[in-house]
Amino acid sequence: MGAYLAAIRSALPEGILDNEQLAGEFEGWSAEKIYTKTGIRSRHIARADECGSDLAVKAAERLISDTGIERSSIDYLLYCTQTPDYQMPTTACLVQHRLRLPTSCAALDYNLGCSGYVYGLGLCKALIESNQANRILLITADTYSKIVNPADKSVRTIFGDGATASLLVASEQPNVTGPFVYGTDGSGEANILIPASGARRRREPDAALVADDSGNARTVNDLYMNGSEVFNFTLRIVPDVVNRLLTTAKATKDSVDLFVFHQANGFLLDHLRRKLEIPREKFVVCMERIGNTVSSSIPFALQDCARTGKLRSNALVMLVAFGVGYSWGATLLRWGDAELSA
Amino acid sequence: MVSYIVMARSEFLRALERQMEVAEGALKEDQLLSQTEGWDSMASVLFIALADEKLGAIVSGNQIAQASTVGDLLNLVGDRFTP
Repeated sequence: MGAYLAAIRSALPEGILDNEQLAGEFEGWSAEKIYTKTGIRSRHIARADECGSDLAVKAAERLISDTGIERSSIDYLLYCTQTPDYQMPTTACLVQHRLRLPTSCAALDYNLGCSGYVYGLGLCKALIESNQANRILLITADTYSKIVNPADKSVRTIFGDGATASLLVASEQPNVTGPFVYGTDGSGEANILIPASGARRRREPDAALVADDSGNARTVNDLYMNGSEVFNFTLRIVPDVVNRLLTTAKATKDSVDLFVFHQANGFLLDHLRRKLEIPREKFVVCMERIGNTVSSSIPFALQDCARTGKLRSNALVMLVAFGVGYSWGATLLRWGDAELSA
Repeated sequence: MVSYIVMARSEFLRALERQMEVAEGALKEDQLLSQTEGWDSMASVLFIALADEKLGAIVSGNQIAQASTVGDLLNLVGDRFTP
């Protein structure tokens, strides 16, 4: 018995932040320049009273309704987020209740950013193969807009809010077969973080707004990303993790039908694609209208490719996820029945 | 594997100018980065990408932060250039 990824659904908040609005706020940047440098034209932004869990519930309700799966049969809920509703209780517990999943269902949050979906699939495979779960709801949900300072264009141009829900079921014909390769380097701590956001440094209500050399302003309560260090990190690890996965799987690059990388930003994706010599038609870029949606970016891209016919049944798909931590992981997936997946 | 183009410092500067969308010849080696038009966090990412693509060198953001002139930047990958 193994894990089968049966369906993916998603939800976006209604609010939209487009490049025209950003160009109006940040002097010297045109809407077209933002697009050229990021590959993004607009992002969805949650309302002030809208949390990741609200988007997660919407995505999961779509999944339940479209697949017709019995709520009572879901026995595990994995919830990946870095913007939980509360520090406690666990957001997965709130979502179990709101989705009316049985109280016999296990539920937990795990805190990962852009690498989260690959880790989630790895956990689902392990839980199903060890007979701890039969039907897993794997949710990714984040509202980075709540941790981004409006005066910081370095991150405001990139991140968008959103959530996805994937259904993984125990099957005699699994498609989440791996292999999985992972990586972690906590020395990247300072390069993507919210300095005052936990026990080490509590949130500071009177924190000053400080501008950096590039004119981006933020407080210690906001997301900080050192763009050039993070870029350097991806150049170092992505080619390596791709090669490690191919070696472990005894597969060749040519045998992969579709490459779905974390949708970090268009410029980086294009650079990595050329560096790895992956043909354009096999390489997914799916962020023009949603931006970088953190751990949701890969399932959003998979759902979009299934819907547009780019993902055919039995296609071999490589997923590569990398980001905050630093944390990264990659796996191969055999895409399943298009009807269930689209 | 990708083979890297052999290039001179001046050629690399012209390529960086095109990426930064500034005029040809706008970057001069003795120029302070703090007084260079268009030099910002995005430009340092463009520099890293170009050094990787053209020279096969992976430069860190912290190394770039230490550079004070355009010439210092090129020195980070100095051994990769043709004389």
